[in-house]
Amino acid sequence: MLAQDPLPVSAINTTPQVQVDGLNKWFGALHVLKDIDLTIRAGTRMVVCGPSGSGKSTLIRCCNGLEPFQKGTIQLDGVALGRNARETATARRLTGMVFQSFNLFPHLTVLANCTLALRRVFLKSGREAEEIAMQHLTAVRIPEKAQAYPAQLSGGQQQRVAIARALCLNPRIMLFDEPTSALDPEMIKEVLDVMIALAKTGMTMVCVTHEMGFAREVADEIVFMDEGRIVEHAPSKDFFSAAAHPRARLFLDTILSH
Amino acid sequence: MGFNFDFALSTVPTIIGAIGTTLLATVLSCLGASALGFTFEMIRRGGGAPGLAVRFLIDFVRSTPVLAWLYFLYFVLPFYGIRLGAMTVGILGLSLYYSGYLAEVFKAGIDAIPKGQQEAARALSLSRRDTVVFVIAPQMLRNVAAPLGNYLVSILKATPYLAILAVPEMLGRAFDIASETYRYAEPLTVAGILFLALALMLAYGVKRIEQRLLASGRR
Repeated sequence: MLAQDPLPVSAINTTPQVQVDGLNKWFGALHVLKDIDLTIRAGTRMVVCGPSGSGKSTLIRCCNGLEPFQKGTIQLDGVALGRNARETATARRLTGMVFQSFNLFPHLTVLANCTLALRRVFLKSGREAEEIAMQHLTAVRIPEKAQAYPAQLSGGQQQRVAIARALCLNPRIMLFDEPTSALDPEMIKEVLDVMIALAKTGMTMVCVTHEMGFAREVADEIVFMDEGRIVEHAPSKDFFSAAAHPRARLFLDTILSH
Repeated sequence: MGFNFDFALSTVPTIIGAIGTTLLATVLSCLGASALGFTFEMIRRGGGAPGLAVRFLIDFVRSTPVLAWLYFLYFVLPFYGIRLGAMTVGILGLSLYYSGYLAEVFKAGIDAIPKGQQEAARALSLSRRDTVVFVIAPQMLRNVAAPLGNYLVSILKATPYLAILAVPEMLGRAFDIASETYRYAEPLTVAGILFLALALMLAYGVKRIEQRLLASGRR
């Protein structure tokens, strides 16, 4: 299964890749996700936004099984997450995840960060793994740092390595959890540029972010969440020109005014 | 009866002859205590009934004297048909005793690793075993290098306990000379200096390893 199966153009935007039905999650007594229904079709670039505490990070963390949930179903390419360990593992392999805090392994070089799962999970030989890793490091424009340790890199460089590391596993869906929120302003652009380039390859992307400029430029669909619910799910153009929900309009006004 | 330097020198070869036993007991006990301590900590983290049992065992071991363990293993186990050599009992006893402390050290070292590291490993579909071997253990070692080194020196200094089981280690050998000659100052001083030298070398080695670990990839 390759990430970029040559789908006919008509098939893109029709094959559901992520199917969330009736998802509910509680942290103890706190009801953090309420009756979430969401379909993400192959090739979609989706931005999930909303005020903090609205459940957007939790939602995408549920989509690769990092967070357990109590009710509802999530299917990735028809494989259910959270039903049993084997299916969850299969479904998770379809995803790549990029975290707000990068989460590179500090004791490993950039190259070793990228090759670890290739060697241990996909059982590639050392040389093969390094070739794949170098391809992706080149794609995120940081091949010269292959032998460096994460601490020797800037935040933006670390996040680009994290993207390359996730891409090494050839995922069908890339999940981004506030990938630029921990970055200094001047480093945000280099990370967003890499993500824009990735979007152009047709990768299915779900991105939790406050970068509305990025959302406007790249996203096909916007999901706006508030208090654990999806209150608006609209094509990007419609959302920015005329958000239907008052809470979403207020959010946009606040975030675009500065 | 003053300190006779020539006599002191004459005891050196005999006492140094036992350095091999001391070093062997130290190295094997360190390895045993580390392996056991890490295993205990992993089981404790797993929780459930085994976790609870290990938690109790660690507390029990830490609250009892190491001599009690050595006597118990050496004198009580044979009643149950388990007959072990003095050296084996000594290494087993020190390993068990210090494993309780090292489990605590490893716990602190693992707790200090940011949660995101485990999440990243899961997101990359690494197995639990691979996560421990390639992600958790190396970072834990870096976090615990200093306290771990202290305990390794402690284990070195605890090897004279084995003298009670008649294991011919350095302090025991020194005491044998003292008993035969009724001169205590010289052989005990020589043994003390040799232990000091070993402890300093061990501490220096640990320090070097710690620096190398820290040099490779600071956070």
